[in-house]
Amino acid sequence: MKEFDIVVIGAGAIGTSVAYHLALKGLKTALIEKGDIAHGSSSHCDAVSLICDKLPGIDTAMGQASIDYYGELDKKFNYDFEYDPKGCLYVCETEPEFEAASEYMERQRADGYDLRMVRSEELCKMEPHIANDLAGALYTPPSGAIAVSPYKVCYAFVEEGKKLGLEVFTYTNINKINLDEKTNAVVSIDTDTQGTIKTRRIVNCAGAWAPEVGKLTGLNIPISPRKGTNLVSEQTERLCNHKILEYGYMMSKFDSIHFKRKVSPLVEKQNIAFNLEYTKANNLLVGGNRLFRGFDIRSEIETLKAICERAIRFYPELEDIKCIRTYAGVRPFVIDHLPIVSDVDSIPGYYIAAGHEGDGICFSPFTGKQVAQMVMGEGTDFDISRLDFARFTK
Amino acid sequence: MEEFLTDDMIVCRCEEITVGEIKEAIKQGAKDVIGVKRRVRAGMGLCQGRTCEKMVQQILCQELGVAPSEVGSSSPRPPVRPISFGELARGVVE
Repeated sequence: MKEFDIVVIGAGAIGTSVAYHLALKGLKTALIEKGDIAHGSSSHCDAVSLICDKLPGIDTAMGQASIDYYGELDKKFNYDFEYDPKGCLYVCETEPEFEAASEYMERQRADGYDLRMVRSEELCKMEPHIANDLAGALYTPPSGAIAVSPYKVCYAFVEEGKKLGLEVFTYTNINKINLDEKTNAVVSIDTDTQGTIKTRRIVNCAGAWAPEVGKLTGLNIPISPRKGTNLVSEQTERLCNHKILEYGYMMSKFDSIHFKRKVSPLVEKQNIAFNLEYTKANNLLVGGNRLFRGFDIRSEIETLKAICERAIRFYPELEDIKCIRTYAGVRPFVIDHLPIVSDVDSIPGYYIAAGHEGDGICFSPFTGKQVAQMVMGEGTDFDISRLDFARFTK
Repeated sequence: MEEFLTDDMIVCRCEEITVGEIKEAIKQGAKDVIGVKRRVRAGMGLCQGRTCEKMVQQILCQELGVAPSEVGSSSPRPPVRPISFGELARGVVE
């Protein structure tokens, strides 16, 4: 029978990072995945990690820590995950958006983050192809806005983890998680390809599928799949020089923030928030929206039309650029927009790191580090008590 | 089949991916067409794998010793052929 100190379930951006960081601590670690590495959300998303889409305070502090850490990993890892500190422009279509963004900028500056507002003229110099009738933009320098290849991040953690003894079992399903009859502690896992694996600790990193894993031990993990869609362009001259988002993106991300945009009923109904970036291969990724559709990740024509309409508003030259592919994926949504990074009181040895919604790539290195510290019984770098699973069980 | 494939032969013309690179992706753990695509970009170019997918499938079958049905194909996604963002936004006008 195989035996490990700890088994990580799910090989996405969170699971691979958690597994790597546990192996780095010297634990005999296994990573189990029902499909291929990065098979779920981490290959159906976009590529950026930003501080300027985080709420001021600890959210931004954690985001910055993770972005800084990506820079370290880029130097440390042999596996190239396409780290690209490109900076970000949050474009404001109207004056009220510009004012709201300015307020947000002031709060972030007060905390020491180097954000600033740019007016239309400067914006057009930074982004020669952008519409010239916008109010301006919130600029975040490369130190707070980077891109990485989301699935290559997963491969990188796996390949670097293997050097530390990490064992990876892909295309492996878990049939049962066995608990001790008296203490209710984790004892072993029954799998379809590896038989029973003995372990006293597991980490559920299954993202949108974490509730399925939770059910195996009767846990109700409140994560739901939230759909996002992107379009891919033909390889083209770089239409943009930064990551571009419309400030209305905040609206689709945090329901509590409302801006009334002058958009068509289709754009409104499809909950579209324009964003644009170039990839290393010089394709453009054009997005995006958030919708609840269960696990249905088919591309929806009405969504695609609405994204195109909104994208052309900001980058008119997209009109004649060709779209070669579209894709959609699910993000692990939690009602309070905070991930669950926690132990589980009722099951000794059971940990959860899931529910990052659209921040999984950004928070991947950070989360792996915190979980490893938590498992080792060391203090975590950040106070992550707000991410406790117990907030849903009280 | 095998005797015709040399490692420097280009399989995915759009992204210029060779037989050798595809074999390397399989060594890294790719077990299907999508796994190869994510690791080395075969099938990610303008034609979206129309030209190379069968060949990638054959290399997978050969390297892993499995049946074609086990190596899958890329996910079917619109558009069927490249169209401009403008056309997509407006819909087709006859």
